Amino acid sequence: MALDKTGGVSRRTFVKGGLAASALAALAACKNASTSTDSSTTTGGTDQAASGGTLKFYINDPVAIDPYNVQESEGTQVEHILFDSLVNYDWDKEDYVAKACEKWEVSDDGTEFTFTLKDATFHNGDKVDSASFKRGWERLADPKMTTPGEIGYHISPVAGYDDMVSGAATEISGLTCPDDKTFVVKLSYPMADFLAVCAHPGLAPVPQAALDDADAFLLAPIGNGPFQMDGKWESGQYINVKRFDDYYGDAPKLDAVNFSIQKDPDTAFREFEAGNIDFCQLLTGRIKEGLEKYGESEDGYTVTPGKQGLIGAESSIYYLCVNVDDPVMSDINLRHAISLAINRQNIVDTLFEGVRKPADCVFPPIIDEDSSNVWEYCAYDVDKAKQILADNGLEGTEVTLSYNSGGGHEDIMSIVQGDLEAVGLTVTQNSQEWAAYLSGLTDGNFQIARLGWIADYPTMDNFIYPNFYSTADNNYSRYNSPEVDAAINKARAIVDEDERKAAFRAINQQIADDLPIIPIMFYAHNHVGSEKVESLYYSPQGLAGLASASLKV
Amino acid sequence: MGKYILKRVIQFIPVFLGVTLILFVMENVVPGDPIKLMAGEKKLDAQTELNLRVAHHLVETDENGNALYDEAGNPIATPMWKRYVLYVGGLLQGDLGVSYQRAGQSVSDILMSKYPYTIKLSIVAIIIETVVGIGAGMISAIKRYSFWDVLVTLVTSVLVAMPAFWLGMLLQLFFGIFLKDATGGGFYLPISADFSPYAEFQGWAYYILPAITLASVSTAYAARIMRSQLLEVMNQDYIRTARAKGLSRRDVIWHHALKNALIPVVTYIGNDFGAMMAGAILTETVFNWPGVGYETYRAISSRDWPIVLGSVTVIVVLVMVINLIVDVSYAFLDPRIRYGAPKDQG
Repeated sequence: MALDKTGGVSRRTFVKGGLAASALAALAACKNASTSTDSSTTTGGTDQAASGGTLKFYINDPVAIDPYNVQESEGTQVEHILFDSLVNYDWDKEDYVAKACEKWEVSDDGTEFTFTLKDATFHNGDKVDSASFKRGWERLADPKMTTPGEIGYHISPVAGYDDMVSGAATEISGLTCPDDKTFVVKLSYPMADFLAVCAHPGLAPVPQAALDDADAFLLAPIGNGPFQMDGKWESGQYINVKRFDDYYGDAPKLDAVNFSIQKDPDTAFREFEAGNIDFCQLLTGRIKEGLEKYGESEDGYTVTPGKQGLIGAESSIYYLCVNVDDPVMSDINLRHAISLAINRQNIVDTLFEGVRKPADCVFPPIIDEDSSNVWEYCAYDVDKAKQILADNGLEGTEVTLSYNSGGGHEDIMSIVQGDLEAVGLTVTQNSQEWAAYLSGLTDGNFQIARLGWIADYPTMDNFIYPNFYSTADNNYSRYNSPEVDAAINKARAIVDEDERKAAFRAINQQIADDLPIIPIMFYAHNHVGSEKVESLYYSPQGLAGLASASLKV
Repeated sequence: MGKYILKRVIQFIPVFLGVTLILFVMENVVPGDPIKLMAGEKKLDAQTELNLRVAHHLVETDENGNALYDEAGNPIATPMWKRYVLYVGGLLQGDLGVSYQRAGQSVSDILMSKYPYTIKLSIVAIIIETVVGIGAGMISAIKRYSFWDVLVTLVTSVLVAMPAFWLGMLLQLFFGIFLKDATGGGFYLPISADFSPYAEFQGWAYYILPAITLASVSTAYAARIMRSQLLEVMNQDYIRTARAKGLSRRDVIWHHALKNALIPVVTYIGNDFGAMMAGAILTETVFNWPGVGYETYRAISSRDWPIVLGSVTVIVVLVMVINLIVDVSYAFLDPRIRYGAPKDQG
């Protein structure tokens, strides 16, 4: 999940402050210092000025930092400063910008993407050519890896993906390299949003070393990004990265980043208070207190001295998944009544100090904010809910709320239970351990279950297709509407940005009446930076822009 | 002697097979599919899930590594006994398998990187146990019924009854948080392990609280054993003889009583080393300690069976070897054991 955010707010302020000049100076000074440590004629003062310092950043122990398997936020955070994918989403411009590629072209039918690459080298000096992208993408689909990757589905639209992942082919036929600088991607069906997929950190290039010494690469990946590994990933302890001096893009200001691995946000926050960590989460339940103490950032995404607390909307949603195959829940009137009975604002206010937003449709405002998106049944209307139940003889219906224990879901579900009982339903809670809960979801052994969806890429498609297409893997509610399927297929092929958006808005309304999911709230991040941080941007996708961050030195 | 050792080594086999078999059965009884767990809320597509099962030998494959299907078109799951044979076979070649959740990492690499931390922590804990346990026990015995004796008895009772993780949290609260607040950050002890090059404390500071927590219960027992042993020895005839010869009380204790009283305590502490390596799970979890215990805890909750099996296997072998060494040294000292005189075969 997630994109880089070099183009974020911090970059703007950064540029105003004369980034180009200072970065060049820093780079020159840095090289100077490293080559002339013995000849102490000029370096003394320059060393001081050149030092960008080390930022200490809290993460949990990742699953993987090797691009072929980056899936959760922690691994992605590390991986995406080691590697650059082809393009990047700019939250400021709300558009894609070139990153590892110079430019791209999309064929008129939306099935062929041609990328022209920039001159760049990997951290080990190898050239970044089109073959290295092909190599990196094919690793996602390679079933012969010691442990096959779990994120191959991102490139499933590429022609030939299915053959490789099933073991029938050893290459993806849709990926070709006419020359060193040109990388061509052929899709098996039109998908205009595929550029968003190309921004995914997992779709990074890898050098030959990734195949030659896969075990070493796993713990110390060699990338093409602004930072390179400094030692290897010490599981449970830390990951250190340092600035890569031959980076093709803007040089980072920081000398190094120390990812401090802590077991939970509480421990991390204590270390933050002790001055051992520069960036971590504000603890839920103490967010307001934290904002008062550390000051609140103006835009919710950028840490600056004195305005260190971040509250920013994210591209993710918390919802109740309804099993539409269940005999009780298949009644659409019951789903309407349940959705109307839930006081979402109350959940947000009592449990999250009002920093999250009640959800009124499937698109978070940061993805698409349009008044036509609102779902009629996401309103809070107890009388109407009661009326629907009475009209259809549904009073006293028994429903079961399933959720995984821990993580604060008990509190949310208890409020929902209270709301539902207030309109005359009988509610049972079913709290399960995570592993057992997931099995129940997969087997369809639930009535209503809690789930969260964090966008893989900031597109409307990514909220619709995985959750509502009849054969999509993540469609836990077993929603099956031929009209919606057809509309999704049609929308995905529309190349024009505005037309495509309009099509997805229409699909959102098609789903609204069926309520296969009941939206509850949109997540917001709550993070805090230390006083040492001069500027640090944290994107709506929950990734820090460490390449553009700076410390006070 | 050689025959005795051989006999003991052969006895390893059933114990070892029994323990691993129990774990294998447990793995199949506990709910939750580790492969489905990998991707979390985002469901894996069918082909990827199958590829992962093939890679971990959870489905039957032909010689080319392609999955085999039954008539209904579903992949055939590898039966438990077959996986067990495979596991033991791999083990004999020193292969502990590959972790489920830590993409592509081998279990032996993971354990090798974790053991140094657990061993170092255990050594510090053993030192605390030896110094504090024996010291407190001696004071308690020598100044019997004094204030100090009562204090030691009281403290050891509390420590024995107190769960180690709770003690750990109390220590964190006091030394890591209250003390820091009270001194304005001037003095406090680190409460989470951070061995990064950027750690502000020298490495040793990180050991203090976890080692005290890990050592707490054993120290209490060591003190109690020391006290009772010393008291018992002091009542022996040869001590009375020594005193009758006119030696000072101090000389009697240091030169005559202590040596004999120490034997059971040292045996206890020696055996405790193995137990600490196994029992570090709670302590390491509380203190974010990057050792085998915390790794095992995480593996259990994420159903990462290869790591759980691997770490337990290593502990079983370790404890068996330590027991063997202890028993062999006893046998060496006491010929009755060697020749099969009644003795409990721990």
